[in-house]
Amino acid sequence: MKPNRFTAGVALPAVVFAVVLVAIPELVSNSFQLRAVMLFLIYALVALGLNLLVGLVSLVSLGQAGLYALGAYTVAILATQTGAGFVLAMMGAIAVTAAAGVALSYPTVRVRGVYLAVVTIAFGLIVQNVAIDWRTLTGGTLGISNVPRIDLGTGPLSTTGLYGLIAAITFVGFVLHHNLMHSRIGRAMRAVAQSETASRALGIDPTRQRVLAFVLSSVFAGIAGGLYAYLNRYVNPDTFSFSDSIRFLLMVILGGSGTTFGPLIGAGILTWIPNLLQAFGKWQLFVYGALLASVIFFLPKGIAGSARDLWLRWRVGRNQSVRQADAWPKPSPGVDALLGVRATVRGPVLQTRDLTIRFGGLSAVSGVTVDIERATVHAIIGPNGAGKTTLLNALSGFYAPTEGRVTLLQDEVGGRSSVQIARGGLTRTFQNTELFPEMTVEENVRVAFHARSRCGFLSTVLRLPAFHAEERLQRERAALLLDYVGLAAYRDETAANLAFGHQRRLEIARALALSPEILLLDEPAAGLTHAEIDELIALIRDLKRLGVTVVLVEHHVDMIMSVSDHVTVLDYGEVIASGAPSAVREDPRVIEAYFGAGTVPTGAHA
Amino acid sequence: MTAFVQYTLSGLVIGGLYAIVALGFYIMWSAVRAVNFAHGDTLMLGSVLAIALMWAGVPLLVGIPLAIAASAGFGLLIERIAVRPLNHGPSSVGWMLSTIAIGLMLEAFVTITFGADPRSLPSPLMGAPISIAGAGIFPHELLVPVAAVALLALLDWFYRATMLGRAMRAIAQKPVAAGLMGIDVRRMALISFAAASALGAFAGILAAPIIQVSATMGLLLGLKGFLVAIIAGMSNARGIVITGFAYGVLERFIEGFGNTSLREVLGFGVMILLLLMFPNGLFGQREVNKV
Amino acid sequence: MKLRSVHALLTSASLALVLGAAPALANKPCIGASLPITGPTAWAADSIRMGAEVAIAEINAKGGVLGQRLSFVAYDDAGQPPRGVDNARRIAESDGCIAMFGGWHSGVALAVVEPVHDARIPYIAVISAGTRITENDRKPNYMFRVSMFDRWQALALVRKSKEVTKTGNIGVLYEDTGWGQGAVPDLKASASAESAKIVGFEVFKWDDRDMTAQLIRLRDAKVDTIILYSRDLEANQILRSMQRINYSARIVSAWGNTGTLGELAGPLANGMIVLQTFTWAGDLRPQQKRVLDSIMSRYKLKSPDDIKHGSGAANAYDAVYILAEAIRTAGAYDRTRVRDALYKVTHEGIVQRYAPAFTPERHNAILPENYVWTAWHNGRILPIAQTPYGK
Repeated sequence: MKPNRFTAGVALPAVVFAVVLVAIPELVSNSFQLRAVMLFLIYALVALGLNLLVGLVSLVSLGQAGLYALGAYTVAILATQTGAGFVLAMMGAIAVTAAAGVALSYPTVRVRGVYLAVVTIAFGLIVQNVAIDWRTLTGGTLGISNVPRIDLGTGPLSTTGLYGLIAAITFVGFVLHHNLMHSRIGRAMRAVAQSETASRALGIDPTRQRVLAFVLSSVFAGIAGGLYAYLNRYVNPDTFSFSDSIRFLLMVILGGSGTTFGPLIGAGILTWIPNLLQAFGKWQLFVYGALLASVIFFLPKGIAGSARDLWLRWRVGRNQSVRQADAWPKPSPGVDALLGVRATVRGPVLQTRDLTIRFGGLSAVSGVTVDIERATVHAIIGPNGAGKTTLLNALSGFYAPTEGRVTLLQDEVGGRSSVQIARGGLTRTFQNTELFPEMTVEENVRVAFHARSRCGFLSTVLRLPAFHAEERLQRERAALLLDYVGLAAYRDETAANLAFGHQRRLEIARALALSPEILLLDEPAAGLTHAEIDELIALIRDLKRLGVTVVLVEHHVDMIMSVSDHVTVLDYGEVIASGAPSAVREDPRVIEAYFGAGTVPTGAHA
Repeated sequence: MTAFVQYTLSGLVIGGLYAIVALGFYIMWSAVRAVNFAHGDTLMLGSVLAIALMWAGVPLLVGIPLAIAASAGFGLLIERIAVRPLNHGPSSVGWMLSTIAIGLMLEAFVTITFGADPRSLPSPLMGAPISIAGAGIFPHELLVPVAAVALLALLDWFYRATMLGRAMRAIAQKPVAAGLMGIDVRRMALISFAAASALGAFAGILAAPIIQVSATMGLLLGLKGFLVAIIAGMSNARGIVITGFAYGVLERFIEGFGNTSLREVLGFGVMILLLLMFPNGLFGQREVNKV
Repeated sequence: MKLRSVHALLTSASLALVLGAAPALANKPCIGASLPITGPTAWAADSIRMGAEVAIAEINAKGGVLGQRLSFVAYDDAGQPPRGVDNARRIAESDGCIAMFGGWHSGVALAVVEPVHDARIPYIAVISAGTRITENDRKPNYMFRVSMFDRWQALALVRKSKEVTKTGNIGVLYEDTGWGQGAVPDLKASASAESAKIVGFEVFKWDDRDMTAQLIRLRDAKVDTIILYSRDLEANQILRSMQRINYSARIVSAWGNTGTLGELAGPLANGMIVLQTFTWAGDLRPQQKRVLDSIMSRYKLKSPDDIKHGSGAANAYDAVYILAEAIRTAGAYDRTRVRDALYKVTHEGIVQRYAPAFTPERHNAILPENYVWTAWHNGRILPIAQTPYGK
């Protein structure tokens, strides 16, 4: 069964939507109603684009009216002043808004949340004020009248023809929006929003995803703006105010952000409501506010979002069969083929030379030199604050070395980003388990396939055969990995709902989905029961059998002694001992570091 | 030279208003990492109530405290019904939209009952301007920057010297730890919103003789006050007041040497640039991202 | 039982909205209007309603037009062009009204030019003064106006300024809206026609609090007469700013500020003269007095000053009568015929005598010689003859 068939199984609803769109000209009796439907479709396009931003990468834009205005003005200016035809003018609108989208997304590298909202507010206000005052180009507050009717070579388009065109474009936008959302790109975008750290460890570049989302949402708004100019044949600055930006955001939230139909529902309601509320006369603005407030209170996830939740709850209630995790690891030929590492280079797979990391004046790691051999289990231990996690962060690219070198598979990687290092074959887990909490178990694993996907943007959003082939392959592989860690029964569960130990397993399965040559585990045993630790040990041994190199940061001494081939001990950021477990255990400096003096560390927890 | 002084003085007046509005955002943000997006409407509420009471024959000295108290009550209401139920972490926008919705309702209600046209709240200090180095200003206007600085000092004292203030500061810095230490986080949130709204109402009444009273008087001030708070960095009250003044003066100088349209385009452009250079605001602290 | 019928009503109403009522072939005896019913200019909508509804009530009391009672259907556009367009189409196509009125915002009026001609419904602007609303190159033109016409207003303002200026330097201060920006070309044309010297154009935005920068520039250009396009709110700020920089100049104003400026600025506004199409404050003829009494009793007003846009109310009142006369002349509720009949209407209105109301070359009913000069004096706006500034 598919994880969220409610939204993913779009084929039937899309057909219904298409049928409704085709039937509407027959249903409505005058151009007031047809025009209202067209306006709805145009707003829906803006909302669909904004949904990619809000629903997928969780960035809030309060400047969408500015992008919408750019599209409308570009079309109006090109059509009235250069006589450009429909296609050319729309291409212009797309180009201008895409460029604005890139420019607007640049701040997301640095600012987010409410700070980004402010950047977008300012952008929207700038666009509106430029429209008011660049009078020679925009006609100022009087605007641009007499935008020509669309002529596709068969004479000016009739109202019904215009409707057909707008309906077709919005429908295509709707399908692309859905396809993108339920694809590896959509998953990667959601992953970035839910845990930037984890996505970077999986080789997903958060900046790229954000820029992509921003550009797409800008282009949607730009196309909608262009269509608006053709529909009204008049543009002026009053149409693109801050309150319009708020309305666009409301459409998405009201309908349900991150859902396929939410933006359509939200746009529909907020386009129709003002017409219905006319009956309230002076009170209509008040009633409008009251309506919005009650929807936000009672359906905080929006209409489609709340409906989806209800449906999921009902479904869960229906198949309330007892699920159980299987024992793990559960090797299979499939997993062997997926994870088995073939040596490509000789010698140590990961080396550091005099690696030093300083924060301000403080050295967290100083002069560390280690060689990590292929297909071994290499433990890094040390008292609290010894610099273990800092070293791990440096190896995985989260910190850049202040001095010294890091060599991964004989490739100098010091200073490279975590994204590049993850793509180079090294990935990791985190001390406090970084899952994508709102995604299903299967989706968590599938996100990790993103970096190695071959299927490009176009084949993804157009769902070409390559897309389907890859989806099938990835689903099979995800099933293999979930089976390997014993979580097959939980495939459709939301990750946040998993028990703690299962979350650990899932994080490891997700890391393995990258088919890494080297896997860094940051305190994987912390908080696990004895039985679970035994299973973890079995897993590490199995990975070693498959040729995966495991680097282990742990406190759990018994575990270290039983699985490690090599132990490096850090104290105050320096290596104080390195060698076979038995040798390190006897090292007086290690004993000193751990206990001041005296006993040998033998307890369960050192 | 006279023009120079004139723009600076006028800028300090409008900038003082931005600063007081921004301080309201700061108080709310510190407590719950969310704000009343319709904070500008508390300015309107305070001054509309003050005028309504004045029309009803209540002397201003009684009416103004009443209006401020009522606005504080409005702040409590906003926190309890519109912010608390919808504030789930940094990426939630529910509170943004619910407070906007309530703001719309309030504006509509006032437009209908109070009227859409601007009304005046008289001040004895708006009679005749005084001259400072050749530049003219009404004595009442001088109250605005003075009030901004005084409020800052008061806020500073409150956060440092009172138990309540310290508890609030603790929440602002480490909400979870503060909760564990037995500080009633929810009560503090309520108090913060009430205080911010009272401050907003005060700002509205203070500004009313200068900017007149209407249902939409708070919109632009609220928006710009919010932008000022963000550019300053939400965590630094002094920075917020300085930024407020600076932004007000900048606006006047752009107007003086350019024009009003340039004011918005350049003003907002500068905001974007500053946020790019200082992603946590000019005076904000870096929020360290720990892996 | 009650609930069920309400439910049924709502369902059928929404169905009617979605599926559409009967096709609008025969036009109905209603006058539609797209007005800013909500938002910061709601008072303008109130004034229009007062004039229009009183006129309609009077006509209906005498049996209506062609045996049918007229009705008035007003929709809110909140000053937003897309909503104005929706309203125009709704009025023309769903409601099938015989004609429609428009409100305050010139931007909305310009936006409805397209749907008005699409649906061929006569549109009468009763406040919006923007030149391009009626001068729009459409043939046949369905946009009419019973209101101030900015081209003529600009000429009157320029002439008046030339009359009162001593230095000969005239300045213009206008709001950055469709109305204000639209007036600039007319002012320039009038100035060159009258060989008046406009030495500075200064602009401000709605809700601006301080206009000292603009006024300092005008003062430095030795301007002693300012032509003003603003609302009450900004007019007050301008007067305050002038006081700040100790600058005095005569203000010759277009009519945006005839509402609460008296309360806001008090005696500071003394001497500001404002061009209007009508004022309720003067000595009224019996006909005018009767209308004022009807408005005041119908809307429970305490004083004529409570009609915030007095000219708008008077214009709307006359516009209803002109339209009714046109319907009678056309002999049918048929928009095209009514539009043609508008050229044949002669009517004794409260603003002026219309003879005829419109001609194919002149879609502006109120002639510049009937514009009236008013002036603010001690908190009231009065006909200029009743003030000390009338000489």
